Amino acid sequence: MRFIAAFVWSLILWLVLTAGSRGLLWSTEELVAGVIFSAVVAFATRDVIGERASRFLNPVKWVGFAVYAIGPLFWGMVKANFDVAYRVITGRIKPGIVRVPVDLENDAQYTIMSNSITLTPGTLTIDACPDEKALYVHWINVTEREPESSEVVAGPFEKWARRLGR
Amino acid sequence: MSSERGMSLIVKTTARATIPLIGIFGAYVVSHGHLTPGGGFQGGATIAGAGILFLIAFGFGEMEKRYSHGLYSALEGLGGLAFLGAAMLGLGVAFFYNTLWHNGPLFNGRPGTLLSAGYLPIMNLAVGLKVFTGLVSAMVAIAAYRRWGE
Repeated sequence: MRFIAAFVWSLILWLVLTAGSRGLLWSTEELVAGVIFSAVVAFATRDVIGERASRFLNPVKWVGFAVYAIGPLFWGMVKANFDVAYRVITGRIKPGIVRVPVDLENDAQYTIMSNSITLTPGTLTIDACPDEKALYVHWINVTEREPESSEVVAGPFEKWARRLGR
Repeated sequence: MSSERGMSLIVKTTARATIPLIGIFGAYVVSHGHLTPGGGFQGGATIAGAGILFLIAFGFGEMEKRYSHGLYSALEGLGGLAFLGAAMLGLGVAFFYNTLWHNGPLFNGRPGTLLSAGYLPIMNLAVGLKVFTGLVSAMVAIAAYRRWGE
């Protein structure tokens, strides 16, 4: 299963890269070469890609990722950019590092959560500690020194990360 | 964090997802060396970047388990031999004579398609293999040489 996950993941990138070799589609030789090279890459990286990577082959999850990227993540980034622009102009900042307790289970959830926090300006994940179930976040405007949940720092990202990384 | 344990969880998870992508992108650059910018060295160095990412993200301990010096050494030699073999194919006329393109059975398709340009794709693959294995071996050797920490 790990081989298949790595194979599909690399074949998708190959198809994106070589699209247009016959009209807008792919010529036969590009497809054959893609299958061969993807098989080689997948064989080489089958131990690297992770124990449970095949759960991301679920198309429902892809829809979830697309909805998340276009909806909450993009909107959160727009809002945060305007907020940071306001802070740059007025100089009203109160920086600090806060410990944010999160309720996540696996590596993928921590990664999605941390990257979402870092992508929205004004917050930056310093460290993820799964053993104490917390993220350390550098925050441009600390309003709560010891937040009880990730709601004040990251909005709805924790809920989404839990769903997408499951 | 010691070098044995590698970097943090987020770096490791991102490396898990991106290492196959870097590998296939490098394979694309190598195999389209006669059509698009890039070629054997560039693609091989890109794939070696995936190996170096693995070494840095997961630490030398993990790399040591998966790296086999004999295999990489043999593959590097094989890359060089394949290059030489492709160069000798047209030895009846001259060294480096591109006989595959002029009258060979393979790799003589319409210019611009994947299977064209005679021995060039073979040579790109050979150089890519050689560069990848050589660079990864060099980085592993440098990482293994650490009198500093002792």
